Amino acid sequence: MPVGVNGMYGGLERWRGSLRLRLLAGTLVWIVLTVLAAGWGLSSLFNQHVSRQFDAELGTHLDQLAANLVFDEAQAPQLRAPLSDPRLTRPLSGLYWQVDRMEPGGTPETVALLRSRSLWDAVLAVPPDALVDGEMHVHHVRGPNDEPLRMIEQVLRPAEYPDQALRLIVAASEELINEPVARFNDLLVFALGALSLGLVGAVVVQVRTAWKPLERLRDGLAQVHDGRSAAIEGRFPSEIQPLVDEFNGVLTRNAEVVARARTQAGNLAHAIKTPLAVLANAAARDDSALARMVAEQVALAQVQVDHHLARARAAAAVQIPGQRTAVRPVLEALVRVMERVHVVRGLQIALGDVPGTLAFRGEEQDLQEMLGNLLDNACKWAASRVDVRVAAQDGQLLVTVEDDGPGLEASVREAVLERGVRADEQRPGSGLGLAIVRDLALLYGGDIDLDAAPAGGLRVRLRLPQA
Amino acid sequence: MRILVVEDEPMLAEQLREALSAAGYAVDLADNGHDAHFAGDIESYDAVVLDLGLPKMDGLTVLKHWRTAGRTMPVLILTARDAWHEKVAGIDAGADDYLTKPFHMEELLARVRALIRRAAGQASAELVCGPLVLDTRRSRATVDGRALALTSHEFRLLAYLMHRPGQVVSRSELVEHIYAQDFDRDSNTIEVFVARLRKKLPPELIETVRGLGYRLACPSG
Repeated sequence: MPVGVNGMYGGLERWRGSLRLRLLAGTLVWIVLTVLAAGWGLSSLFNQHVSRQFDAELGTHLDQLAANLVFDEAQAPQLRAPLSDPRLTRPLSGLYWQVDRMEPGGTPETVALLRSRSLWDAVLAVPPDALVDGEMHVHHVRGPNDEPLRMIEQVLRPAEYPDQALRLIVAASEELINEPVARFNDLLVFALGALSLGLVGAVVVQVRTAWKPLERLRDGLAQVHDGRSAAIEGRFPSEIQPLVDEFNGVLTRNAEVVARARTQAGNLAHAIKTPLAVLANAAARDDSALARMVAEQVALAQVQVDHHLARARAAAAVQIPGQRTAVRPVLEALVRVMERVHVVRGLQIALGDVPGTLAFRGEEQDLQEMLGNLLDNACKWAASRVDVRVAAQDGQLLVTVEDDGPGLEASVREAVLERGVRADEQRPGSGLGLAIVRDLALLYGGDIDLDAAPAGGLRVRLRLPQA
Repeated sequence: MRILVVEDEPMLAEQLREALSAAGYAVDLADNGHDAHFAGDIESYDAVVLDLGLPKMDGLTVLKHWRTAGRTMPVLILTARDAWHEKVAGIDAGADDYLTKPFHMEELLARVRALIRRAAGQASAELVCGPLVLDTRRSRATVDGRALALTSHEFRLLAYLMHRPGQVVSRSELVEHIYAQDFDRDSNTIEVFVARLRKKLPPELIETVRGLGYRLACPSG
C-alpha cells in the first residue's frame, strides 16, 4: 500500500515540520511519564503502608495470644479467654492462630497444640527455620483453602516452665492486604487518568491559544502575498510584534526603493528622450546618408530605451509582495483619455461590466502601461467601435480588447509582439506597444494572445495574475 | 493661427518653432511654467503644445490654472511613452490630446491641425469657401485649383477666417491670432493685409462689417 508508506512518511514529516505538533507530542510524552511514575510511587507507598499495618495487626493478635496463654496442672497450655477478633472463631475466615510445642532442637514436637476455631481441623505448616527465642519471623504460606497467607511466628518460653518452648503463629489471608490495595489502585488509575486528561486538555488549549497570533501572522502574510493588503495589520504579542514591525518595515523600504527606481527610470526616460527627439527631428529635415543613419539609430535607441525602462520598472515591482491594483478605475481613466483623444472620430469605446472587486496583483503603473497600450492600439485601428471586457477566469484576470478595424493577418500577429516590428509603417507609433505589453505580462506570469475579433478586427486577450 | 509652445529644452523648442512657423503658424515660446501660465492667461492662442516636465511650475499645474480660469484653447501635451499616469492626469486636467516623446514632427503638426479644426468645429483637413480651398496639411490655399502666393501673415489671416466662415472677426482678434508675442503689432497693418488678400481672392469674399471687423462670406452651393 503506497498510501500507507507515503502517509507515514508524510505524517512524520508533518510532525517534524510543525512546531505545534512537536510541542504537543513532547508535552504528552512528559505527562504520560510523570503520571506513570506518580502512579507507581503512590501505589508502592500505599502497598507498603497497608503491609505494615497488616503486620502490626498480626503482631497485636500474637501479643494477645501470648498474653492469654496459661498452663493447667498438667502443664498443658490453655487460653484464659477466647481472642477478641470474631474472625478467629468463624471457620475458614482467613484469620488464624495456632500454638505448637517445640523440641529443644527447634523442630516441632506437637503441631497444633492449640489452634483457632477458624482453622477448623486444618494445620498451618510452617516452613522450617531456626527460630531464636523471642524473634519474630514472617512467612508466606498456603492456608486451609489453599489461599495465600501471610504468617508471623514467635517462639516463647513461659517464665513458669522455662523448659517448654511454644511456637505461637498468627496468619491472615493476603486477600486482606490485596483487596484494599486493588481498590486503591483502581481509584488511583481513575484519578490519575482524569488528571492526565485535564492536563492534555489544558496543553491543547494552551498551544492553540499561544498559536492564535501565529495563525493571524500567517493569514496576514498570505494577505500580503496575495496583494490583498500592503502590510501585516493588527497588534501581536510582544514576542512577535518586533518581527511584524521589521517585516512591515522591509515592505515599506521595498516600496520606497521601487518608487525611487521608478522615478529615476522616469527621469532617465525624460532626460534621454528629449535629446532623441531633437536628433530625430534634425535628421528628418535632411536627406543625407548621415541624416538617414542618425534617424535609423535614433529609432533603434528609442526602442531599446523604452523596452529596457519598462522591463526595469516592472522587474523591480514584480518582486514586491502585497501589491494590488483595482482594474476598474484604471480602465475608466484610460477610456476617458481615449474618448477625449478620439472625440472627432466618434469612436464608441464600450467598457463592459467590470466588477469593482477585480484587482491585478501588481503595480498600478504597469497595469496602466499594459491596458493603455492595448486601448491605444485598438482605438488607432478601430473603424467605429472598441470593446473592452474584464473577467476572472481560473484565478486569473482575463482582459479582452476587440476592435472593428482591419485586423491583422495571422502571419504577422506573432511578429507585432516582437520588439520594434510595426504592422503598418504608415501609421504613427514606434511599434512597441504590444511588445511591451507582452514583456510586462510575461514578467508578471501572465500572457497575451492575438486573434480575429467577431467584428473583423483584432482581438487581444491579456491574462494577468489576479489579486 | 497662433500657437504657444511650452518646452524647456531649447533645441527641441527651436525645432518646434521652426516646424510650426514653416506650417504657417505664429509661434510663441515659453521655457518655464510661470511664463507659460502668464502667456496662456493673457494671450489668445489657437493651440498650445505643452511639455509636462517644466521648471518653476509643472505643465499639469499650468494646464489646471488655465482651465480653472476658463481658457479653452486646445492643448496638446508631450509625455514620455511609458507614463500613462501622465496622460491620464493630463487629459483629466483638461488636455485634448497627447503625444509621446520622441515624436515625428509631421505627427505633431497633424495633431495640432486636427486640434485647431476640432476647436473651430471643422471636420475636414481641407477648408472650402466657394472657389477658395485651404489645405491645412500643406499650408496652401488655392482658388479654382490655382495656388495663391501668400505671405505668412496673409496665410494666417486667411486661415483664421476660414476656420470661422460666416463669423464676424474683429481686428483685435485677428491681431492676437496672427502675430507672435514679440512682434511689433499694429492693428492698421490688418487693413493692409486684408486689402492685399482681397486682390488675390475672388471679389466680395471678405466682407467688411463696419465697426466690428471682417467676415468670410462663402457663396452657398
